Amino acid sequence: MLKHDIVVVGAGLAGQRAALAAARAGHDVALVSKLHPLRSHSGAAQGGINAAVGKEDSVETHIYDTVKGSDYLGDQDAIEFFCQQAGPTVIEMEHFGTIFSRSDDGSLARRAFGGAGFPRTIYAADRTGLALLQGIYEHLGTETIRIYEEWFLLSVVVRDGRVQGISAFDRRTLKVEGIAAKAVILATGPFGRIYGRTTNAHSCTGDGVAAAYRAGAALKDMEFVQFHPTALMESSILITEGARGEGGILKNVNGERFMARYAPHVLDLASRDVVSRAIVTEVKEGRGFPGGFVHLELMHLGKEKIESRLQEICDFSRTYAGVDPVTEPIPVYPAQHYMMGGISTNMKGEASIPGLYAAGEAACVSIHGANRLGGNSLLETLVFGKQAGLAAAEFVASAPDTEIRAEDLEKETAHIQQLWNRTEGESPRALRTELQQTMDQLVGIYRTPEELFRALRQVRALQERYRNVRVIDRSTTYNIDLTDALEVGNLLTLAEIIVVGAIARTESRGAHTRLDFPARDDKSWMKHTLAHWTVNGPELSYAPVAYTRWEPKERVY
Amino acid sequence: MFADEKLITVPFDVYRYDPAHGGEPRYQHYELRLAPHTPILTGLLRIRDEMDPTLTLRYSCRSAICGSCAMLVNSKSRLACHTPVGPEVKEHGRIVVDPMRNQPILRDLVVDQQPFWSRYEKMEPHLILDPKHPMPEGQTTAMSPAQVERFKETPRCISCAACFSACPAVEADPAFPGPMALAKLYRFVVDPRDTAQTHRLQKIQTEGLWLCLRCHLCTEACPKDVRPSERIRDLKELAVQAQGGTEAGSRHAIGFLHNIEERGTLNELKLVRQTSGIGGLAASLPQGVRIWRKKPELTQSPPPIEGLDQVKKIYSTLKDDKSEES
Repeated sequence: MLKHDIVVVGAGLAGQRAALAAARAGHDVALVSKLHPLRSHSGAAQGGINAAVGKEDSVETHIYDTVKGSDYLGDQDAIEFFCQQAGPTVIEMEHFGTIFSRSDDGSLARRAFGGAGFPRTIYAADRTGLALLQGIYEHLGTETIRIYEEWFLLSVVVRDGRVQGISAFDRRTLKVEGIAAKAVILATGPFGRIYGRTTNAHSCTGDGVAAAYRAGAALKDMEFVQFHPTALMESSILITEGARGEGGILKNVNGERFMARYAPHVLDLASRDVVSRAIVTEVKEGRGFPGGFVHLELMHLGKEKIESRLQEICDFSRTYAGVDPVTEPIPVYPAQHYMMGGISTNMKGEASIPGLYAAGEAACVSIHGANRLGGNSLLETLVFGKQAGLAAAEFVASAPDTEIRAEDLEKETAHIQQLWNRTEGESPRALRTELQQTMDQLVGIYRTPEELFRALRQVRALQERYRNVRVIDRSTTYNIDLTDALEVGNLLTLAEIIVVGAIARTESRGAHTRLDFPARDDKSWMKHTLAHWTVNGPELSYAPVAYTRWEPKERVY
Repeated sequence: MFADEKLITVPFDVYRYDPAHGGEPRYQHYELRLAPHTPILTGLLRIRDEMDPTLTLRYSCRSAICGSCAMLVNSKSRLACHTPVGPEVKEHGRIVVDPMRNQPILRDLVVDQQPFWSRYEKMEPHLILDPKHPMPEGQTTAMSPAQVERFKETPRCISCAACFSACPAVEADPAFPGPMALAKLYRFVVDPRDTAQTHRLQKIQTEGLWLCLRCHLCTEACPKDVRPSERIRDLKELAVQAQGGTEAGSRHAIGFLHNIEERGTLNELKLVRQTSGIGGLAASLPQGVRIWRKKPELTQSPPPIEGLDQVKKIYSTLKDDKSEES
């Protein structure tokens, strides 16, 4: 049996930072990932990482902006800690070797971002995620950490009320193995592939979040789904908020800078939920371009600035949309981008099962509340990745041994056997497409009870059909027909929780906008949604929001 | 925008092989109707969705940033997500897709990347710090925009291995680290925070730097314009500047430079001696005799070329430029 003190699942920024912290504390750490660490989706983050390091800026303002951005659903104690850690975290990453863009005086360059009072987003051109991922991976190489590269997570094993480890398989052999651990840290990222129109990578299927949920852990605030205002048409590839931070502007078919009507003070740099709603409204009311989109104009910034600071954006626009941002506007429309919800944790990264931790987008602390600010997610991966690694290290120092028994693997092995043995049945990819259509059409930016209930019926019907999914590929080497089937199972599990949470929350807050309840309702709804697994579907309960100094106010940009 | 494009028929011939489960490698034919701008990855995923779920490949971000889907497209190393079908069909009539070169095939288009990563690891790909000069506590290192410029495009590298697959030196010599590893090494050599420049240059001089064939196929293959061959050239220049001619490769380069300056043409005999020393000259004696019999003029010192003054002028301009730079 494979055995380590701590197993980290997911090797993006949060997972690598957690592994680094735990290894430095002197423990035997394993890092399990279905992709090579450098292929993780953290690398796709473009715009930057927030830290109030400028002279005119302050940690206090960063805290306030984040609380306001969260539409008062973020836990204020956690947000305070988070923003205080921003400066030291960025300095640490710079010391690890990250190559940031610089100002003339040699300090870290900063750009403006949505919902922020000051330009506090530190960046590396428009590939900040890649720069950070390289920086931490290079540094991680100096520690002794066992990496299980291209291993697929099946389950978190819980027995006697505590975590015993995980079950997983090597994608090259398909042999299911137990990996015992005194603590498991899940950093498996988001599940944006529930949607068809998403900026997320194909691999973002929530394997860790679904495994935690099935193991009995609470998920938090799953109904809050962020739509990024500017994704390319057709491909939904992300165009960074940094494009507007550098001075890009949105225009409708009449050539009008429409954000002036929605956010008179900060215009195009309002918070993401605000800008996304504005774009959808413009298109709905007939002021979009034929085909249903608006324009993002960068031309006035000049060739040099566009090609140096927004180098990848130039390539993406030219390759994937056939437009040159130097001379033409970019056609954009909102697409699913970020999951505010995830495995419920506290500030130390502890989930609701002893020995289980989570960090990064897979987790919900919550610092983003109902709407995340751009530049805060990269920071979250590093701050809370480290927190989870430290907390797990402390926990395992005094925790008794764990083991994985043969019976712990039985359910997972049987599930794979069933998929394998079916000679007739449905294609996992067909189910995935139907799920994505359902979520795109019925659980988007504006939500109505009729559409949400229809979505719930459809998702449950798909779950029923999933019992009859079939894997056609017979090979035990890198069988992606099988991993497709397992991933679709996870997506279906998580989609249901989003819809159930959205139906229950009869208010509009941050990214959750109900047309039948257009106002925020602090009296009834300033609380976190918690979801637990039961045989009859998710069971909801609620938990208070931690708030310290910031009284809820109306949110105007 | 692509809005008005007409669909075209795209014939795919995809390499299929599952070594662990027997059978022979073969090409499988599929046809799709696609808009010309459609990336090849989208085509391959549609084949999986609609025709054949057993077709196996790596992919993730679909936007040229995760580096998962490098493969051969009509014999060239490309990212499938970053290569549109239209131009390929126009030029070749079809799209032949093979797994990358220089890495063992695991199955279909999936290769074992160990040869690529192990060479990368050998570069000591992390900052090496002098304990006597730690990082400034509580603040970032100062780095000017000009110092950031020195990295060139190397921070854009997504480790997709397209360059490694395209490289004939990797194929010919297991000691060659490959383009990506050397571009990565360059990134550390020019990093003002790193304190091991001398160690790194010394080490790479004997560990493969001079095995590069200067064919630039890596630069041609790179989807992110990292230009590994140009960074390899820079590494050679830095190595010679710092350490002079310690290796046959660097001595050859220096000898070449001096030969041209002296006479405007190569003195083969002298170049062999400069590169490999008297011992090397002696070892090449049988070959020298053969050449002497067939083309005796090659074993003589050639006379200076006409217009040598122009050559000298080029050298002196280059030297002036260099002194201005430093």
